[in-house]
Amino acid sequence: MNVDKTILLLKQGKHISEDTVYSLCLKAQELLINEANVTHVDTPVTICGDIHGQLHDLLTLFDKSGGVEKSRYIFLGDFVDRGFYSLESFLLLLCYKLRYPDRISLIRGNHETRQITKVYGFYDEVMRKYGNSNVWRYCCEVFDYLSLGAIINNKIFCVHGGLSPDVDTIDEIRAIDRKQEVPHEGAMCDLLWSDPDEVETWSLSPRGAGFLFGENEVNKFLRTNDIELITRAHQLVMEGYKEMFNGGLVTVWSAPNYCYRCGNVAAVLRIEDDLSKNYTIFEAVQAQDGVGNAIIPTKKTQMDYFL
Amino acid sequence: MDKKGINTIEISAAREMHSRTISARFPQRGNANSGSTSLPNSTVLPSASTAASFRKPLPMRHICNNPNNPPCANCGTTIIPSPKASLPLEDNPQITINNWKISTRKKPILNSKELDDWESNKLKGLTLPEMIFGNNEILIENKDKNWGLRFNALDALKEVKLQDSGVRVSYSNKWLDSKHKQKKMDNLDIDASSLKIIHNYDWTYTTHYKGTVFALNGEEQAPYDFHSDDSLQLPIDKLSKPDKILFFDDMILFEDELADNGISILNSKIRVMNERLLLLSRFFLRVDEVLIRVIDTRIYVEFDDNYVMRETKVFEGNYNDILSKHKLSHSHDPKAVLRDSDWVAAHTPLLKRECEFIRFD
Repeated sequence: MNVDKTILLLKQGKHISEDTVYSLCLKAQELLINEANVTHVDTPVTICGDIHGQLHDLLTLFDKSGGVEKSRYIFLGDFVDRGFYSLESFLLLLCYKLRYPDRISLIRGNHETRQITKVYGFYDEVMRKYGNSNVWRYCCEVFDYLSLGAIINNKIFCVHGGLSPDVDTIDEIRAIDRKQEVPHEGAMCDLLWSDPDEVETWSLSPRGAGFLFGENEVNKFLRTNDIELITRAHQLVMEGYKEMFNGGLVTVWSAPNYCYRCGNVAAVLRIEDDLSKNYTIFEAVQAQDGVGNAIIPTKKTQMDYFL
Repeated sequence: MDKKGINTIEISAAREMHSRTISARFPQRGNANSGSTSLPNSTVLPSASTAASFRKPLPMRHICNNPNNPPCANCGTTIIPSPKASLPLEDNPQITINNWKISTRKKPILNSKELDDWESNKLKGLTLPEMIFGNNEILIENKDKNWGLRFNALDALKEVKLQDSGVRVSYSNKWLDSKHKQKKMDNLDIDASSLKIIHNYDWTYTTHYKGTVFALNGEEQAPYDFHSDDSLQLPIDKLSKPDKILFFDDMILFEDELADNGISILNSKIRVMNERLLLLSRFFLRVDEVLIRVIDTRIYVEFDDNYVMRETKVFEGNYNDILSKHKLSHSHDPKAVLRDSDWVAAHTPLLKRECEFIRFD
């Protein structure tokens, strides 16, 4: 398998053989198994939020932010589901990881699990493209090896969802056995699922599972770990990013026109050597094939004689 | 930051292109101003015989107020809201039949400023759904009767209860048990309150919204209101006729993925024919492994009779009971039917039906 060649094919959204996916996933696992639960990353680095299978927007993201050949990246998870190119998006990131291992960090999102991908599109997409689920299984194996977080210059903590009442220090995250399907409870689950909210203290989500955390918890976590900022993704933001709690936490969202109908813009956050923050905003592209036809089905109003 | 202002040259260019696109939709007319009319900015379209003889001529009665749309039946094709322009030029398609005006508006989801306003003022106490198409709207207006009916997200969300819905995700008990056990074992310093719901609101966003009745002149009280009569039935025979659809639109008002535990979505669509219109506003809720709920509101207007009927139906059932009604599927994804709200509504028990009407004198 030739990684550079695969990258070229993926960028054009072309079919990748099952064998290639298999060896790609195997190599990625060998690489990821050596990474810590919380990887150390140096500045300057670009932090990216949810991608959700929007391959063409992922390509725009690299285009607008320097590209992996020149810059360092952290992806906060949710590479798959919802969009039409989950497989290509995830494989492209894996290829980059293999090709430039120290320039890209991949963090697990709540969609990088067997259970969620079966419901929200990735599994269906693989069935449609290959007629069997093998490729989905290979990818799910890789999901189990993805990191749970990253720390930039020991000052900025990156995670997909948010904090957990079971986790006071970043060292406690390092002790988790992460190589498994995301459990329904516990620290690993919370890190991938919890949301910030205007609450005084840890609070149960009204859904009956999952935590909400507020400014107090964020401040406590920042103090305990001697860090300045928590960056997370997981929630759609119309403007691409949203700072909360006096700048102690920021949500970064990198899927423009989410689900091809929300009309939102996307953002990535670049952290400079002096830890200053720079947001780059970008819009959705209308992907076209060689002769100018749109290849992403747009949500066009379909007239029908409903009753 | 990469945010840049819009260049004025781009604006004029885009405007020009937009107006060319619009004018290109009209078939050639004999005279530029053949359709003069008393209504400003309106175009009465030429009679069917000059424009489109391929179709049985309809009685000349409707007006395309805002011709920013593919032309109506008399010109050849159906009015469907026009394709999105590259700039935020607002398209506001409308149609008028007799004294009835129907219009729709579609825009992107609310931005943070609008969301803040909704969260801290208009809908205080509600954690808002993930996607709110808060500037989308369907309007049905009768100018002569000073009466209007609108469907929008704000009014729909005002009917979401600010109390515990009682609904929990499927793994809630398991999750809570494990937390309680863990607390005992580890003596962790999670204080007891962390396992309580502090902020109560109906996270399923269930709304029994039936549309908002209003007075066109801005008065608080609309001059006509609905009278209840549950014995009424929608005239399915009339509505099943393949009458040409003159105006059609379909829009989401709000949607939430329930943190990947299902879906909660409010969708409204409308079709206008020569003699009548039908609007369906459907709230669809699926909490995976737990619950299915569909709340349908249908508005039927018979133009010549100045008659409006509103029917509401509430369907609700256990998730697995409804899934089990779909036995024939051998597909790899048997749950696909649960994403089809029509199938679900047809297979979920009807809890309640109500009907009401207005007959304008």
